[in-house]
Amino acid sequence: MFLPTLFWLAAVAIAGVHARSSAGDSVLVVVEPEHQAKYSIFFQNIKDRGYELTFRAPQTEEPRLVEFDAPKFSHVVILAPEIKSIAKDIGPQGLVDVLSRGVNLLVALPQKQSPLSAFAAEFSLILPPPNTHLISYFPERNESATIIPVAPSKDHPILTNGITPIWFSGAPHALSTNPYLVPILHAPAQSFAGEPDSPGDVLADAAEKGGEGLWAGSQLGIVTGFQASNNARVTFVGGREVFSDEFAQKEINPGTKSGNTQFVNDIVAWTFQESLVFRVDKVEHRGLNTPISSDKYTVNDNVIFSAYISKYDPQTSTWASYSGIDDLQLEFTMLDPHIRTALLPESETPGKYSVTFRVPDRHGVFKFVINHRRNGMTYLQSSTTVAVVPPRHDEYPRFLSAAWPYYVGAMSTSIGFVLFSALWMARDVREEKKGKTE
Amino acid sequence: MVRLLPISLLFLAAIVQAAKLTLQSPRIVITTAGSSAPLHTAPLSLDNKILSPVTLNHTDTLKLTFQVVDEESGKGVQPHQTFLRFYDAQSGEEGIQPIRVTISGKAKFELVMAKPPSSLPPTTSAPLLVTLLIGTPDYSPLSADLFDLYVLPSQPAPVHPEEASFHPLPEIQHTFRPEQKLPPRPISAFFALAVLAPWTVLLTLWSTYAPRPKHLFSPRIFPFVATLAAFEGLLFWYWVALRLGDVLLYGAILGLVAFFTGKQALGSIASQRLGRK
Repeated sequence: MFLPTLFWLAAVAIAGVHARSSAGDSVLVVVEPEHQAKYSIFFQNIKDRGYELTFRAPQTEEPRLVEFDAPKFSHVVILAPEIKSIAKDIGPQGLVDVLSRGVNLLVALPQKQSPLSAFAAEFSLILPPPNTHLISYFPERNESATIIPVAPSKDHPILTNGITPIWFSGAPHALSTNPYLVPILHAPAQSFAGEPDSPGDVLADAAEKGGEGLWAGSQLGIVTGFQASNNARVTFVGGREVFSDEFAQKEINPGTKSGNTQFVNDIVAWTFQESLVFRVDKVEHRGLNTPISSDKYTVNDNVIFSAYISKYDPQTSTWASYSGIDDLQLEFTMLDPHIRTALLPESETPGKYSVTFRVPDRHGVFKFVINHRRNGMTYLQSSTTVAVVPPRHDEYPRFLSAAWPYYVGAMSTSIGFVLFSALWMARDVREEKKGKTE
Repeated sequence: MVRLLPISLLFLAAIVQAAKLTLQSPRIVITTAGSSAPLHTAPLSLDNKILSPVTLNHTDTLKLTFQVVDEESGKGVQPHQTFLRFYDAQSGEEGIQPIRVTISGKAKFELVMAKPPSSLPPTTSAPLLVTLLIGTPDYSPLSADLFDLYVLPSQPAPVHPEEASFHPLPEIQHTFRPEQKLPPRPISAFFALAVLAPWTVLLTLWSTYAPRPKHLFSPRIFPFVATLAAFEGLLFWYWVALRLGDVLLYGAILGLVAFFTGKQALGSIASQRLGRK
């Protein structure tokens, strides 16, 4: 009895020290064994952050990603995109399945035809035809046109501020308008997708064909995230070279190392649920003049609704109250929202957001709904059902001035009845009789 | 020393300049449908943008011609990448149009506004910055802002149906039913008095012919009258404060009392009337 408890405590303590992610610290890395050494800096960095790496070759079956119908790993990194035949449990179907169970994925996209192309298409990414590269002749440099320095945007919430440009080599992808996509890095404006040795006419021909003929410009993505509605995250990287030791150590300017290491750390932090992770701790609601919560309100009551929100802090692996969301909204919904109002942070209590409003004069089953979706942030969702009832029979206003005549009428009838009864019974019967006989 | 080596190598490499490209006789010609004479002709410069922006209507056609040549030899070059980039700095929308260049480096591009190419991004009233991008192996890349282009606003870019839920939604206020309106109190008071008016008639008549309540306080009559008054009092109490259950309980008790007091009172009246006393 005592021993298991001790073991449990120890396990919790160790987990508390190590895991930086809010979702768990076991990572499955799918990479060909012969290429493993090419990404040693990347792997060492993840290990240093407290993750446990398990390596697996793409064609082997072991170790399994899902065992006894439960995912064995919290995160999956796929650095072997070019493989034609990939084991079934890490194929597109298997990956979508584990994603829907909350496993986070970091996927390097293929440049050749591979099962992962179909996987990316599931997430509204449109990949260029196989064997195309991102090419840019800008800026003038000694590297080949397919090895491109890319400057991340300055104030991206996922990336460290002031990150140095990174080296990129791989294929771009077009983004659909799907709002679940989180663009992290766009292709440079001067770049385009093509084959390095093709004649110039090919591009003009492709454009004339229309549709997705030409792949060019800064609307293309090269690193793109996707946050599913269950808050699991996927990040697609246009080329696995971004993770390589070679690019991490390559100089972007004479004397300055590239930002690849920092960039990869940033996207790993986002993908593995370290950064921009929020949660609704609890919600409360009560009538304005009643101290305790109720699951029933009368129409036209005034109600206070409060939500407590915290943000995950990867440095200490704890949740801390967070008051920084300024566009939170509360809906009071019966089929349609009847009221939608801002849920503003309270200055006295950190992490508390509250609002007071008057319950609509419609009775029925209502819900307090928070559905806060912002690009890149954990979706905050909460729904609490309450009943809104009409006033009870004795809760309506009474002694209305408009009813005075009715009150007076009823009372004078009563008084008249008592008076008449008293007079009739108290009269002298014999006097009457006498009068009659006379 | 070892650390410095690659830097100096890079430095040396950077000094080695690649060959340069330039454009020969770049110009734009704007024509409009129905007339062969050009509306506007302007030479372009790689160094500076044309100061006056170019405005196109639905019927206009913009024709851009140039020849890509090697700066030193003057020979025509067919570059790998010859793009015209339209960029709206306000909305961030961008469109890229590749330009067909012949082997001798001659290029011609027509922008027919009656049938705008799909590469033209969705436009607003803001201008599009038109940039020429030329890149090819073994040459320095060439990027030149040519001119600002004003075109008529187009349809906005399509928006995903769920896009709205990723932004703050418009606030919704509930429209409450108006408060119930009560007539002015003096009017209610007037009608209450009107209801009381028959009492004046009753009291006047009673004062002229007043049957004396002779036996009111006799021990046979009074308990029943008091019970009836208590019934009326109970109903009043019900209106003000009591619940139905209480009323039924108290009413039952009073009813029992009324049964006996009533039997006694009415019995006594009957015996009086029949003259048994």
